[in-house]
Amino acid sequence: MKRNLITGAVAASAIMAATGAYADKASDTLNVAFTKELENVDSYFNSSREGVVMQRAVWDGLIYRDPSTNEYIGNLATEWNWIDDLTLELKLREGVKFHNGEPFNADDVVYTVNFVADEANGVKTQRNVNWMKSAEKIDDYTVRIHLKNPFPAAVEFLSGPVSIYPNEYYAEAGPTGMGLKPVGTGPYKVVSVEPGKHFVLEKNENYHDSPKGQPTIGKIDIRTIPDVNTQMAELFGGTLDLIWQVPADQSEKLAEMGQFTVANESTMRIGYLTMDAAGRTGNADNPFADVRVRRAVNHAIDREGLVKALLKGKSQVVYSACFPSQFGCSQDVAEYEYDPEKAKALLAEAGYPDGFKTEFYAYRDREYAEAIASFLNAVGIETDFKMLQYSALRELRMSSGTPISFQTWGSYSINDTSAITSQFFKHGSLDDTRDDEVKEWLDIADRATDPEKRKEYYAKALQKIADQAYWAPMFSYNTNYVFTKDVEYTPTADEVLRFHAMTWK
Amino acid sequence: MATTTDPLLEEIQGPTPGQLLRRRVFGHHGLMIGGGLVALLVVVAILAPVLAPHDPYAQSLLERLQPPVFLGGSWEHPLGTDHLGRDYLSRLIYGARVSLMIGVIAALISGLIGTAMGVAAGYFGGRVDMVVTFLINVRLAMPVVLVALAVVAIFGGSLQVVIIVLGLLLWDRFAVVMRASTLQVRGREYVAAARAIGCSTPRIVLTEIMPNIVNNLIVVVTLEMAHAILLEAALSFLGLGVQPPTPSWGLMVSEGKQMMLFEPWLVMIPGIVLFLLVLAINLMGDGLRDVTAPENRS
Repeated sequence: MKRNLITGAVAASAIMAATGAYADKASDTLNVAFTKELENVDSYFNSSREGVVMQRAVWDGLIYRDPSTNEYIGNLATEWNWIDDLTLELKLREGVKFHNGEPFNADDVVYTVNFVADEANGVKTQRNVNWMKSAEKIDDYTVRIHLKNPFPAAVEFLSGPVSIYPNEYYAEAGPTGMGLKPVGTGPYKVVSVEPGKHFVLEKNENYHDSPKGQPTIGKIDIRTIPDVNTQMAELFGGTLDLIWQVPADQSEKLAEMGQFTVANESTMRIGYLTMDAAGRTGNADNPFADVRVRRAVNHAIDREGLVKALLKGKSQVVYSACFPSQFGCSQDVAEYEYDPEKAKALLAEAGYPDGFKTEFYAYRDREYAEAIASFLNAVGIETDFKMLQYSALRELRMSSGTPISFQTWGSYSINDTSAITSQFFKHGSLDDTRDDEVKEWLDIADRATDPEKRKEYYAKALQKIADQAYWAPMFSYNTNYVFTKDVEYTPTADEVLRFHAMTWK
Repeated sequence: MATTTDPLLEEIQGPTPGQLLRRRVFGHHGLMIGGGLVALLVVVAILAPVLAPHDPYAQSLLERLQPPVFLGGSWEHPLGTDHLGRDYLSRLIYGARVSLMIGVIAALISGLIGTAMGVAAGYFGGRVDMVVTFLINVRLAMPVVLVALAVVAIFGGSLQVVIIVLGLLLWDRFAVVMRASTLQVRGREYVAAARAIGCSTPRIVLTEIMPNIVNNLIVVVTLEMAHAILLEAALSFLGLGVQPPTPSWGLMVSEGKQMMLFEPWLVMIPGIVLFLLVLAINLMGDGLRDVTAPENRS
C-alpha cells in the first residue's frame, strides 16, 4: 500500500513535470527548493539561513575560510596585517569586477564597512558588524579597518557575514534595491528575483581567481516551497534536483528508495531552552528565577533520546552554550543527565512539589518542541504551548521576554564562541539572564588578543552559564541534503549550500 | 394491552403514540446508523480512561512511528504510534472527547443565541424583526473561518477560546430557521386561541410555538454540531486551535501531514474518524427530523 501511494505520487508529479518547466543536467539548470521565504536578498537585511546561502553565492568577503581545513585564505583581499589591536590593514585583489561592470577597489570596501557599521542604517544582526568602527582608504588597493575594541574574531567575521558591496550602485539602490537586483562579485549573479518566491542565478563567467573555486553549473533556479511533501513530490517528478533541510524521517525513507543521494552533515546550529532568570516577563510568580527550577528543567530532558530518535544523523548532545567546534567553546561544564526523579525533587525543593504551569514558546521544529514540552510535562511543569512565527517571537522576546522558550541559533556559521554566547549573554535585548559577571568575562574574552586568555574567559563564562542553568542547551542540528544522482556535491559542516562547489556527474 | 386478544378492541385502541414513534425510529435506517455511531462515540468519549490502552500523553521516542496492525504493526499499539511514540488509538479515543465537547457546547451556545433571536423576530415582527434580520445579515457577511482565525490569533488557541468563538459565530442558521418557522406557526389557530384566552407571551412561545418548531431546531443543532467539529479540526490543523499535547483529531492530521508521503495512515486514521463522526451526526439529524416532523406523526 505504501509503495502504491509513492508510485502514485511519482506518477502525479511526473504529469506535473511534463507540463511544467522540466530542467536538469541537459539544460544545465539546477533546481533547488528553499523552505522559508527569504525576506530580502541583501544579506545585511535578513537573518535567515537562505540568506547566508545567497550571500555566499552572490557576494564575496575579503577573506575566505576553507570549510574543510578552517584555514583563512585571501579572497577579495590578498593579505592582511594587524597594525595594532584596533587596526587591520588589507591589500585588495586587483582586476575584480562586480556583476554590473563596476570595478572593485578600496572605495567599495570603505563604503560598505562605513555603511554597515553605522547602527542607524539598521543592519539586522548588529553583532555581525558592530565591532567595526570605520574603514579608511590608504590607496586604491589598500584599506584599513578600524575596530571599536580589540576583536580577535575579526578575521572570522570578515570571512563570514561581511560581504563587500559596490559603492556606487549601493549608494543609489540601497538595501531595497539591492534586495530586488543584487549585485556582487560572487561566483553567481542574480538574473531575476521574485521576492520571497523565486530566484534565478547564473554562472559568473568572469569570476576572479577566488579560493571558492570556479562555478560550473550554468543556472541555479531556486523556488520557495514551504511544504516538505511537495518538495519530495517534485524531486520524484524531476522538477527539483536538490532539496535540503529534509527532516530525518523522510531522509531515511528517501535513502531507502535508492534513487537519490542523501548526505548528512552537522551544522553549527544548536537547540536550547532559554529561561526567564532575570524576571523580564514581570510575572508575579516566576519559577525560573530559582536556579533549582532551571536545573530541574535541565534534568527533565532526555537529550540522548532526542538526538537518537528525532534529530538522528550527525547531531550531538550539547551541554555548553555554544557549538563544540567553535573557538573557545569549552566542553568542561556541568552536565545535567536525564533524571526525571531528580528534576521532581529539585522542583519540590524550590517550592513546587506539584509542579507549575507556564507558557512555552517555540517557533520552529514543532515536533522537537512538542517532545521537549512533553518531557517538561512529565516532571510536572505544565506547558501552555505557543507556536509563533520567528519574527513575532523575536519581537516578544525583545520587548518583554518569555518564561521559557525553545530557541535555536546557527551562529551565521561563524566558528567562534563570540557568535553565540556573546550574542545572548551580554545584556542585549535577547538576554534573558542579565548576569553581570558573565558579561564581564565575555567582554574580556571577546577583546583579548591572546587566544589562551580568550579560551580561559569563555570557559569561565560557559561554566557559570551551565552551573546556573541559564539555558538548557540540548542538541546540535544536522541537515540532510537530498539530490539526484546527476549532481555531485559534498556538503560542508556549516549548513551553507555552496552552488559553486556543485557539479554535474 | 398485549394480553387482550379481542380484535375489535385492538382496532379501536390502535397503536399508542409511543409505539408509533418507536416504529418510525426503528424503521429509519439513517437514524439508526447515525444515532448508533454517535452513541458509540459518546460512550467511547465518556469511557476514554477505561478504554484507552495507553496514556495518550506518554511519549516514548524509541517507539516512534510504529505502523498500525493492518500494516504490519503489533497489537501493543493497534493503530500504531505517532511522531513522538504516543499510542495512536489512545489519542484517537481522547480526541473524541475534544471533538464531541466542542460540537455539543458550541452548538448549545449558538443554539441559545440563535433561537432566542429567531423566535423573537418571528413572533414579534416589526422593529424586532428588522433588527434581528440586520444582525443576521451582518453575521452572514463575516467569513467564519477568517474571524475565528483572527480571534484565536489574538487570544491564543485553547479549548475554551475555540469553543466560545465557535459558539458566538455559528448562531446565524439557528436565527434564520427559527425566524422562518416561527413566522409559519404564529398565525395558526391554536396560537390565536391561546392569545384569546389571555395566555402570557412566554407561555405562548414556550408551549404553543416551540413544540411545533423544535423538529427544525434539531436539524440545525446537528448541522451546527458537525460544522463546529469540522471548524475545530480546521483551526487545530492550522495550529490555532487546541494546543498540543491535547489530543485533537485536527491536530493529529496536522502533525501527520509532514509524513504524509511515506506514512499516510497518520493522516488517514483521524481523517476517517472525523468523517464518520460528522456523517453520523448529519444522518442522525436528518433522521430525527423525519421522525419528529408533525406531518409524519399521523
